[in-house]
Amino acid sequence: MNAPKRGFSRRELLIRSGVLGAAGLSLPAILAACGGDDGESGGGGGSLLIENWPEYIDLTEGDVLGTIDRFIAASGVAATYSEAYNDNLEYFAKIQPLLGTGKTIEPDIIMPTQWMAGRLRNLGWLEKLPLDKVPNAKNLEDAFKNPPSDPTGEFSLPWQSGIAGIAYNVEATGRELKSMADLFDPAFKGKIGMLTEMRDTVGLLLLGLGVNPSEISSFDQAAGAFEQLEKAKADGQIRAFTGNDYIDDLSLGNFAACIGWSGDVLQLGNDNPNVKFIVPEEGATLWWDTMVVPKGAKNVEAAAKFMDFVYDPVQAAQITAFVQYISPVKGVRDEVAKIDAALADNPLLFPDDETKKRFFPFADLSEDVEAQFEEAFSAIIGA
Amino acid sequence: MAAPVLSRVRSLTGVSGERAGLLSLVLTGVALLAVGARWVSGPISLLVLVLAALVVVGWITLALLGSPETKRALAPYGLLKPGSMWLAIFYLAPLWTLLRSSLSSKESRFDVFPTFSWEFANYGKAFTDFGPQFARAFLYAGTATLFTILIGYPIAYVIAFRGGKYRNILLGLVVIPFFTSYLIRTIAWTSILADSGPAVDVLNALQLTGPLEALNIMDNGKLINTPAAVIGGLTYNFLPFMILPIYVSLEKIDVRLVDAAQDLYSSASRAFRQIVLPLSIPGVFAGTLLTFIPAAGDFVNAQFLGNPNTTMIGNSIQDQFLRQNNYPVASAMSFVLMAIITVLVIVYSRFFGTDDLA
Repeated sequence: MNAPKRGFSRRELLIRSGVLGAAGLSLPAILAACGGDDGESGGGGGSLLIENWPEYIDLTEGDVLGTIDRFIAASGVAATYSEAYNDNLEYFAKIQPLLGTGKTIEPDIIMPTQWMAGRLRNLGWLEKLPLDKVPNAKNLEDAFKNPPSDPTGEFSLPWQSGIAGIAYNVEATGRELKSMADLFDPAFKGKIGMLTEMRDTVGLLLLGLGVNPSEISSFDQAAGAFEQLEKAKADGQIRAFTGNDYIDDLSLGNFAACIGWSGDVLQLGNDNPNVKFIVPEEGATLWWDTMVVPKGAKNVEAAAKFMDFVYDPVQAAQITAFVQYISPVKGVRDEVAKIDAALADNPLLFPDDETKKRFFPFADLSEDVEAQFEEAFSAIIGA
Repeated sequence: MAAPVLSRVRSLTGVSGERAGLLSLVLTGVALLAVGARWVSGPISLLVLVLAALVVVGWITLALLGSPETKRALAPYGLLKPGSMWLAIFYLAPLWTLLRSSLSSKESRFDVFPTFSWEFANYGKAFTDFGPQFARAFLYAGTATLFTILIGYPIAYVIAFRGGKYRNILLGLVVIPFFTSYLIRTIAWTSILADSGPAVDVLNALQLTGPLEALNIMDNGKLINTPAAVIGGLTYNFLPFMILPIYVSLEKIDVRLVDAAQDLYSSASRAFRQIVLPLSIPGVFAGTLLTFIPAAGDFVNAQFLGNPNTTMIGNSIQDQFLRQNNYPVASAMSFVLMAIITVLVIVYSRFFGTDDLA
């Protein structure tokens, strides 16, 4: 403990929140603390509203400030952070009546998954990022530069990246899992969970069938995965299609195994050592969520300040240590090593080149093909 | 100055007060519907609203200045006015929009406003693609309604006839679950019925899992994410809506009727069958409507307690509206649901409905 305390990892947070809980402080209090001031600008830096996915940033904890509060302190921007982004399609349906008719939405930064960011860009619903005011954008990892969803890289900056693989509760499975075929083991009938996020579920099924999801361009190429999914559903193999809430089912043991997101499961694994995450031997799907500025946003300058702030490796490392996803920022690994050395060696956070070859981003589908995929998927998940 | 005008109006309405009342009722309703359903827009809608306001003011003036007969003729229309205006703008107007939307099509999935095109194919799609969900919705809602009668009737009976001084407390207990949100109560069941939760543990300890599996209540060791769990959730959530109307109709029954029957050598069960049960049927009828209709459109129970093979039509409508952005088909599905429920209710009321339904 000679080095100055830089932050805390997820593991420490759980210990701390346990202590705080005993002292009568509850999670809402912790969450409220991360919200920061809303409305009034604190120190002339303007205001900023960020809408992100749940549990996707480090929180202020006692005397250790979370990223949002550190940003407020450093920039004077009155930033408000909300966890209103729960599902790509739902969020799209929510903003469509506004952005689609030339009105603007309240948040200045939203964090759609890369393919959704591409859709928003195609529809002309995004502002160009003022990259000249984001000098730290130079720290963007090369792998994330100019993806098909944003070929010029002017509209989006990755927030965190991760993989979808197999998560399982070894107490419920009674054995270790290794491949996609394990999800179809009749022994787990009615105990398998899959994601409502089409690209992750279908992408992994495709990998299981030996098809590279990065090279899909028509529905026919993926038809096998849909058939497999339909059959598994009809047979009662699949217990539920879920969003982020698979975490509860997994830790309760309702799901013996499911498709899950790396960071979530790694976080949960700290609580519950029975919960494990693996990259199936066939490979895993790679995704990333991006920071974008909706058309007509009021606080573009403040948004640029925030992006610059979180692209500083020192700051990004705090987020990574907490959320345990893959950081798109260069130099984070060294900084994470200072917080939690074990984490810096975790191949799921910092994959080596060999591991990276087993990660496959889902292909960029044309609009018609995407519609076909989504319709077929929604028909199966039966929501 | 105004006196001649007023007397003219008075003499005019003295003759046709009812007609004037009805006319004002229809005019305001249509005006609000026209604005709400966007038949008119911009300055014209403002004009229409002003017109509606004038009609209301005119009605009030007539009612104030009219003869006693005029007042009496106008009164019912006045009492109907708030309700009819409310229905026009918050029920008929949205219904019209929904109907229009159900016959529209979208050029691109990302269009905000579908274009009206007599797209009857939406209805075909609602039937062909979502047939199983419709069937399940009515099967589950019907079964749950049956269970609420079987469970709710005895409870209402005991409260009404044996409750004594505890009646109000017992009724309070029936209503108490409403103090907690519907959603929270449903989600609570997910932890109670979880695979490693208390319910499964108890059933395992009692060795009851075998029989329950045979009855299809449990499935592969699961209590939750089964059709039985969805029906159970619906039954649990809608039970008070069955108990309360049955209680009201039982409570009105004069117990001396039963005494009289027994004086005439009727057995207790026959007295129940021939006196209490027929007199309480209006309560059962009302309870059935209050339970079955919302249960058929429910999506919460199927979402939290069901599995991908137990989705009900409510889930599909929600998904089409809020995730797929497919407003036309979602609207068509909503209309089909409404139509089926209407038909079922009409048929049901032919068999069970009573004239004295409170």
